[in-house]
Amino acid sequence: MFGYGLRRLLEAVLVLWLAATLAFVAMQLTPGDPAETLLAASGASPEEIARRRAQLGLNDPIPVQYVRYLADLARGDLGTSWLQGRSVGRMILERLSGTVELALAAGLVGIALGVGLGLLAALYRDTWVDTLAMAVAAVGLSTPVFWSGLLLILLFSLHLRWLPSSGWGDARHLVLPALTLGFSLSGPIARLVRTQVVEILRMPFILAAQGRGVPLWRIFLIHILRPAAGPVIALIGLQFGFLLGGAVVTESVFAREGLGRLTVQAILWRDLPVVRGIALVGALAYLLTSLLADLCHAWLDPRLHQSEER
Amino acid sequence: MRRLLIFLLLAAALMTGCTPRPGGRIVYGLTLAPTGIDPHINASAELGIPLTSVYDTLVYQDPKTGEFVPGLAQKWEVSEDGRVYTFYLRRGVKFHDGTPFNAEAVRFNLDRITSPDLASQKARFMLGPYERTEVVDEYTVRIVLKEPFAPLLDSLSQVYLAMASPTAVQKWGQEYQMHQVGTGPFIFAEYVPGGHLRLRRNPDYAWGPSVYQHKTARLEEVEFRFFTDPATRSPALESGEADVMGEVPPQDAVRLKDDPRFRIEAVAIPGSSLMFFMNTTRPPLDDLAVRQAILYGTDRQAILSAVFKDTSPVACGPLAAVTLSYDPSVCQYYPYDPARARALLEERGWKDSDGDGIRDKDGQPLTLDLYLMGWGYLPTIAELLIAQWTELGIRVNAQTVRYPEALQIGREGRHHLMPFQSSGSDPDVLRQFFHSQGSMNWSKVNDPEMDGWLMEGMRTSDRQQRSAFYSQVQRRVMEQALVLPIRDYVNLNGVSQRVQGLRFDVRGWFPWLIDVTLAQ
Repeated sequence: MFGYGLRRLLEAVLVLWLAATLAFVAMQLTPGDPAETLLAASGASPEEIARRRAQLGLNDPIPVQYVRYLADLARGDLGTSWLQGRSVGRMILERLSGTVELALAAGLVGIALGVGLGLLAALYRDTWVDTLAMAVAAVGLSTPVFWSGLLLILLFSLHLRWLPSSGWGDARHLVLPALTLGFSLSGPIARLVRTQVVEILRMPFILAAQGRGVPLWRIFLIHILRPAAGPVIALIGLQFGFLLGGAVVTESVFAREGLGRLTVQAILWRDLPVVRGIALVGALAYLLTSLLADLCHAWLDPRLHQSEER
Repeated sequence: MRRLLIFLLLAAALMTGCTPRPGGRIVYGLTLAPTGIDPHINASAELGIPLTSVYDTLVYQDPKTGEFVPGLAQKWEVSEDGRVYTFYLRRGVKFHDGTPFNAEAVRFNLDRITSPDLASQKARFMLGPYERTEVVDEYTVRIVLKEPFAPLLDSLSQVYLAMASPTAVQKWGQEYQMHQVGTGPFIFAEYVPGGHLRLRRNPDYAWGPSVYQHKTARLEEVEFRFFTDPATRSPALESGEADVMGEVPPQDAVRLKDDPRFRIEAVAIPGSSLMFFMNTTRPPLDDLAVRQAILYGTDRQAILSAVFKDTSPVACGPLAAVTLSYDPSVCQYYPYDPARARALLEERGWKDSDGDGIRDKDGQPLTLDLYLMGWGYLPTIAELLIAQWTELGIRVNAQTVRYPEALQIGREGRHHLMPFQSSGSDPDVLRQFFHSQGSMNWSKVNDPEMDGWLMEGMRTSDRQQRSAFYSQVQRRVMEQALVLPIRDYVNLNGVSQRVQGLRFDVRGWFPWLIDVTLAQ
């Protein structure tokens, strides 16, 4: 158990370092000078721009910048936004709630829709219900969110006028973005649920349970859903990274305030501390959820306990 | 019993609204979620729309006369050499948090703006060759410059150099922009980034400038919301979600104009026009005749009709027509004359010798690299430009780039043509574009005479003399065909008819909300 924990921790540090380094390299490769971007249109002279560049530490050799950046991170210091002059950690925390809210809502939609479709397909295997459910899942899987988002806006906001197309505030603003993102999440879930349930239905213990006269609902909950849930939860854990990335795009489509918009803005303005901070927080969130999913999986699926005990 | 009856009657009268009283609330639509909203730090025009009403400035500019009038400074003197400005401050002014306004507060604000630690993106540079601020006595303050800087009063009349409460700035530090405190007619109540920004009436306001019509604000509350997607703006207005909406797309503005529930307040924005800079160091645009051919060969009116539905005027020169020191004589240059454009190109040896529709010379096709940004309808404008220039036998490689990359391309001179537009009420705005050392000298011009005029214009305080310098600059820019001006910027505000008395300051962007009332 201790060895497992240590391995997880080392993995986590490696992932964080990779994320930090990738963010650093990516911004180095992006054209445009941050000091010039901030000041050129404000009537600052080239000397004043050069002074700001030096002040931001951009004149130092790149390895020096990299080491200083890692040293700051190691101290837990995400730095100060060049654009807003506020602490990056604080700015991220402020927006995190909007993105988490969307990710959770989309996660619920995705799970409900995915599990529903998958179960339908499995229980009515090889009928038209199966075909239809899997077709819907395939559409969800393969439609990019910026496209499905626009379609939903067209239908529900412009045509039916039921829901606001953009903005941020009450629950009504959450419906369309959550549907958009949830729909694309439901595709892989539905497929996995179908495979799992079909497999379990073939197992002898189902027949045995039926033979013992166990009520159907009990068979369904205990013998089918519980073992099927494990891999699905692991999948959701893995999909969380996708969910965060999708939330970024979805937020742009629906003009929602959140990490996504902060990211886009920071990249546009070459606000390096913010870009790096978000990359790191994203990696951290990904690590946490995959750890959580693994734990859930282990707890839910009895087959895993057995293999460990042996 | 009788007392109670009278009270009830009074209450009923109040509730039915037969007593005229100030009050009410409007929702004001902003068009981009600002990156940061501390006017001392950030540079967006958007932040000034709400914050102009939260703060007061030392002076104000009368939009009718262009003259500066007292604000937080009752009067001021400028030294003979133009380097020392002495301001005599109004007494009895209090910030929203109760802090008294005085000379110390002015010095605190200017020290804050010019401190390298604040890393100001605009305010600092509006102070030009600023040296220091001296407190003479409690209500007298002196700003000392290293050299004369004529735009100073214009700068001091803008929200970027507005006076913030020193107590609040010290209390909140980095987080000040979420808790701003000024002396203005409205109090900064709440800001949720990307969500909304709410202002509440300041009942104690009594020191407004003469350009304000009312002593205190009429409205109880103003809520700003963000409508970043242009397509959502007029629907928000029509559904009653917003009462005022900035930057309504031209085609929607045309439609709203015919709707009796709304009006369009088209406000011309001073500053530079939207213009395409022509790189004078990169062949074939190093040839004046080729640049002139592009100007003659562009039907700007057609572009404005197609893209802007004639809601904004064709620009004749580098300054918008509503800008101080604008010289209308620039309109004599370059009427649309495609025949002349063709003749100029032929004269310079650009002929279509291989019959592919593109002119060439010495085996080189006449090709131009056009870089543009995604904002301000530029992609649509570029499409029309390319169509027109193809007719002339010019091939265009167009590419859309992000702003930071555009700056880099402009600095390195990799473009033939690249557009920009900049707002500002002082003609000194031309210096960054046409001075050889300007930060956005995308025409790559190096004209010592023009450098001299721009520097003299910046230093000379006499308006007429200044304007003479800037006239020369404007004419030189057009004679040398350094730019292709397209349009003067016009902000199309969609306004519900229930909103009365909406006026804007000289900058055109910033509303004076104090005078806004609601029709019954």
